[in-house]
Amino acid sequence: MSEHKSQLSVNRALVKLDNIYKTFHSGTVNEVRPMRGINLDIEEGAFVIVLGGNGSGKSTLLNAMAGSFPIDSGRIELDGHDVSKWPEHRRASLIGRVFQNPFSGTAPTMSILDNFSLAAKRGKFRGLSWAHSRHLQDELRDRIRELKMGLEDRLDCAIGSLSGGQRQALTLLMATWLKPRLLLLDEHTAALDPKSADQVIALTDEIVARERLTTLMVTHSMQQAINLGDRIVMMHKGNVLHDYNAAQKRRLRVDDLLSRFENVRRRELLDENAAELLRARYI
Amino acid sequence: MTLLIGALTLGIILSLLALGVYISYRIFDIPDITVDGSLTFGAAVASVLLVKHGVNPLLATTAGFLAGALAGTVSGILQTRFHINSLLSGILVMTALYSVNLHVMGRSNIPFLGAATLSTYCEQLGAYIFSGSETNLWGWTVSSADLTMLLFMFALVSFIALLLWIFLRTDIGTAMRASGDNPQMVKALGGNVENYRIFGLAVSNGLVGLAGALWAQYQNFADVQMGIGMVVWGLASVIIGEALTGATGVGIAIIGTIIGSILFRQLVAIALSFGLNPNDLKLITAVFVFAALILPNMMSKLSVRKFQGDA
Repeated sequence: MSEHKSQLSVNRALVKLDNIYKTFHSGTVNEVRPMRGINLDIEEGAFVIVLGGNGSGKSTLLNAMAGSFPIDSGRIELDGHDVSKWPEHRRASLIGRVFQNPFSGTAPTMSILDNFSLAAKRGKFRGLSWAHSRHLQDELRDRIRELKMGLEDRLDCAIGSLSGGQRQALTLLMATWLKPRLLLLDEHTAALDPKSADQVIALTDEIVARERLTTLMVTHSMQQAINLGDRIVMMHKGNVLHDYNAAQKRRLRVDDLLSRFENVRRRELLDENAAELLRARYI
Repeated sequence: MTLLIGALTLGIILSLLALGVYISYRIFDIPDITVDGSLTFGAAVASVLLVKHGVNPLLATTAGFLAGALAGTVSGILQTRFHINSLLSGILVMTALYSVNLHVMGRSNIPFLGAATLSTYCEQLGAYIFSGSETNLWGWTVSSADLTMLLFMFALVSFIALLLWIFLRTDIGTAMRASGDNPQMVKALGGNVENYRIFGLAVSNGLVGLAGALWAQYQNFADVQMGIGMVVWGLASVIIGEALTGATGVGIAIIGTIIGSILFRQLVAIALSFGLNPNDLKLITAVFVFAALILPNMMSKLSVRKFQGDA
């Protein structure tokens, strides 16, 4: 254990976020500022849980890393590259992603095999070679059998005919088919029923541990936050509010996290009361 | 019998158009009106090369493909790089192509009087194969030139359909299909969705241009109006094909589209021979596509009502 720990401590930061700002709908009544000078370093091999209320900027943080939109200012470094200006599809060579919506991660009218043939070329050049190689089919059948969902004989099935839980498990397998430098999980169990969510979480834990993936997982579930990962980042109003390392995280209980959230909420109420007070006095 | 062979040949030629529409409409979910312009563009380029420059018919036909592909590329760039609505960019390119086609052709109609074309090739080849200008087919006397043309077109379209099928099952073809299905996912897996769309529209309109080049050589003239309304024709073929095959896989969809095109042309030929006014052809085609588009929806509504009635 101590050996593992010392190894972690010499690991360099795989991800460096440097003073990131982002404003949407700037200058309109709908203006939102989900990133207000975020700084965050993530070590190689870390499994980071990102918590936060609605609109705290946690999903935006993941999307900014993945390149879904350009950031206003700041610098994103990933695996030694400055990826701030890289388009989304180029960053995909380093990043595997699973989305909240089970429909987002797979092409519904195409077969399981088609979908995985795409995943097998993530971030690589796609040329005129046959997409369904014999090698891919064999490996895929073995890996899907491990899921114990009975899908190994249905590789030619349209993926849209599967349940949300099955699709999310497959998306996770696709995102990690080629080992990504960084795995981004954006509330990937939030849209699932409790049983499927548990299955997908177990699978996540297994894959991340086996492949030693550097992972960033956004979740709403305090229980998941306590059970998984080795670091918790709590976001609030477009910034990092708390950052618990592995040792601190081990002592955390669900109640502690809830009380932290309660504090935040109270402070917000106070802010609003104070604003009301000021308004009453000066306007 | 001559009428049947003629309709069959034209149906096979236009199945290339239908395959082009299949790519834009079914794979990328775009109603791509560029087709109306690129069909004529392919025909115009091929006919000028054949008549004015005496180029080898096979080369001129290939040039027709490239001309269509160029039109598709422009349309794709308008959609992706300039973020113009796909319907509007099709209209823009189609409109621009009308002038371009007139410039290329120099006038609105080019007859092929005596120029060497695929038709004259087939005539010579037919006379050689069937030893004579006429031959006996199951008791019918048919022109060997027509028969050879039919066989040639059938072989050519089969070959191109096979190439298309193979292409859509390669890495890049699979990524292209997925980018129509779920662009978000393709981006997350490192695919450049915009480039796939440009390339897909180039292939789609290339096939349409090829159809135009072949059609002009088959009817022995090119006309600046020949592309008008052809996208609806392609849609009708794709829809008939899907209704017949219940297309799920790419291969079946391709075969269905070809059969749809041939069948549709036959229906039109039969209607015309029963005295349908050719002026009404586009109207009837449009009404047919309209019906085909709304029928599935209405059927499901009907069955829901029936289901509720049962309960």
